[in-house]
Amino acid sequence: MSLPAATVLARAAEGEGAQAFALLAELSETLAISLDLRTTLPEALNRIVDYMAAEAASLFLFDPVENVLECKVCVGPVDLSGLKLSPEQGIVGLALVQNAVQIVADAQNDDRVHRRVDAETGFITRSLLAAPLATANGPIGVIELFNKRGGQPFDTVDAGILRLLAAPAALAINNARMARELLEQQRLKREFDLARRLQKALLPRRRRAGFPLLAVNLPAHEISGDFYDYFEMPDGRIGFVVGDVSGKGLDAALLMTRAASLLRWAGKDDLAPSEWLRRANEELCQTTHDGRFVCALVGYYERSTRVVRLAGAGFPPVLFHMGNTYRELPSDGPPLGIVPGISFGEAAVALGDGSLYCFSDGVIDVRSGASRLGHAGVRSLIERYAGSPPESRLRSIVQELRYLKLVDDTTILLLEEPRVHPPEVYLRQTFAAEPERLRGVRANLRLALDRAGTPPQLRDRLVLAVDEGCCNIIRHAYRDGTGDITVSVRRDGDMLEFELRDAAPPVDPDCVRPRDLDECRPGGLGLNIIDTVMDGWCLQPRPGGIGNVLRMWKRCPLPQEEDQ
Amino acid sequence: MNNDVVTQQHGDYMVVRLSGEVDLSWSPRVRMAILDALEKHQGVGVELSAVSYIDSSGIAALVEGFQNARKSGRRFALAAVSPAVMAVLELARLDRVFPIVPDIDTAIRGDAA
Repeated sequence: MSLPAATVLARAAEGEGAQAFALLAELSETLAISLDLRTTLPEALNRIVDYMAAEAASLFLFDPVENVLECKVCVGPVDLSGLKLSPEQGIVGLALVQNAVQIVADAQNDDRVHRRVDAETGFITRSLLAAPLATANGPIGVIELFNKRGGQPFDTVDAGILRLLAAPAALAINNARMARELLEQQRLKREFDLARRLQKALLPRRRRAGFPLLAVNLPAHEISGDFYDYFEMPDGRIGFVVGDVSGKGLDAALLMTRAASLLRWAGKDDLAPSEWLRRANEELCQTTHDGRFVCALVGYYERSTRVVRLAGAGFPPVLFHMGNTYRELPSDGPPLGIVPGISFGEAAVALGDGSLYCFSDGVIDVRSGASRLGHAGVRSLIERYAGSPPESRLRSIVQELRYLKLVDDTTILLLEEPRVHPPEVYLRQTFAAEPERLRGVRANLRLALDRAGTPPQLRDRLVLAVDEGCCNIIRHAYRDGTGDITVSVRRDGDMLEFELRDAAPPVDPDCVRPRDLDECRPGGLGLNIIDTVMDGWCLQPRPGGIGNVLRMWKRCPLPQEEDQ
Repeated sequence: MNNDVVTQQHGDYMVVRLSGEVDLSWSPRVRMAILDALEKHQGVGVELSAVSYIDSSGIAALVEGFQNARKSGRRFALAAVSPAVMAVLELARLDRVFPIVPDIDTAIRGDAA
């Protein structure tokens, strides 16, 4: 039983233990200076042994995973480093379990003492003192002192002092552990960042407009286990890959990079899709031994015939959508990297004007409320946006998936020949080039832009810009002459296009430049307004030497449809 | 709303109240009204709350009035500017050039914007 800390401190303050205070301060400083406990802890233990006049000492740390106390530092004639004790054993175990100082005055006749060490080393333990290394979260180890020099046993004052001296050691060990954990976290973060960059670098770049393949990858966590790839073959076919690696985190990411490279190279060897998978499977079986596997879908698309040939390994069925019909193409091969010597089936699809959706299982597993999205949910998602061009369709689908809950990495690859959508004409009006006509033209423009789904604020600016174009034709192109202006508004995809045609003498486009807005003067603002409001414009003389065409355009995506 | 110009005298101050759409067909008349008012008064306030549309020719009439007043040492302000007009002033980066006041009484009193 030890004295309360307050009593020890009181005695120390009265001078009885002033040296203990000094040592406590020194130990605290020494242990606070360095996080390298390999040098500071033995030094601290030596100082404690000297001060307490002990023959030997050990410092044990508790490993909660293995449930053992291991001797980490030792001072004295016998080296106990590495000795492991159960918390149920001896005085050290008691100090830990009871989180209290243990005093043994007569070790030879005390049943609590574990005598195996004495028996093995020949050391004779007469008296023992063990203090827990206490922290706010419980004891993390024990300091044990053996035999007081001079022969007398350890007493309650010794117990109080050792408990005080154990405090900075416990604090230092805790700090060192936290620092180690922090370093480990930083190291992991660096590794994750590297893996993320590596993965991003593996994904193919977006292709020019008109390329029939589009893909998107949404990681559920920091690193995605999904990947996709596409490449052009020398004969003009397009090879594509979608993959999904089992597991999460860094190991999965590393396997993903390996699988992605392997599938790309095998695909470029111009193998049939089934052989492509077979070869990748053999390679992965030889190099993957930790139970991980890869689900993949590979194929070629021939643009001239619009035929897709593909093969799957453990991948969800591919969804083919044409008109009002959906067809699932099963991908019945097993995942890659598990069993060697397996052959894979193949499927061919005449794409025509249809769309082929390859989803990783993350899409099917997306949570919609309490249930999974499932195949039916995926179909209704496609149905909702079927009228949009491929890029905005994929974007809208992804937005919805984000709104729902992703539980796994999600990848969608869409194969579809770009449709040639004829631009939709919202307004075509010919009117006499007179100022009095402009009010009616503006009213028609507003109606047309409303039909084209333009937000009101943008609509008003566009009306102003087109009106400015008309004013310039009336004032500068026709001047005092008469003639007509034909205004047209049409939408081509996300682009609104405006055209003003006149029959005035041709204007030199180089002479038509916006003025500097920093000058405050009455005229010349019209072109600035056109320049500011529109994304682009150009003025060209019409062929045949009579008239001009002013074309202006503004990107204005169609508003998303409301959820059904 | 029909295009209209209404003038209202307040001592030596003239209020020019515009309404409707100030476009190429209408701005020459607006210009004349403003310049005429400046010629005969020490201050002119153009009230724009009822203007639903203005194009660069309408803006040009206002700019000319403002410059004319500055040259001849007269007061000139735009009052109760409608959102449609303010949007165009901002587009032409003239919202910080004109003296703009919240209402015509402020313009008459000559308080700073």
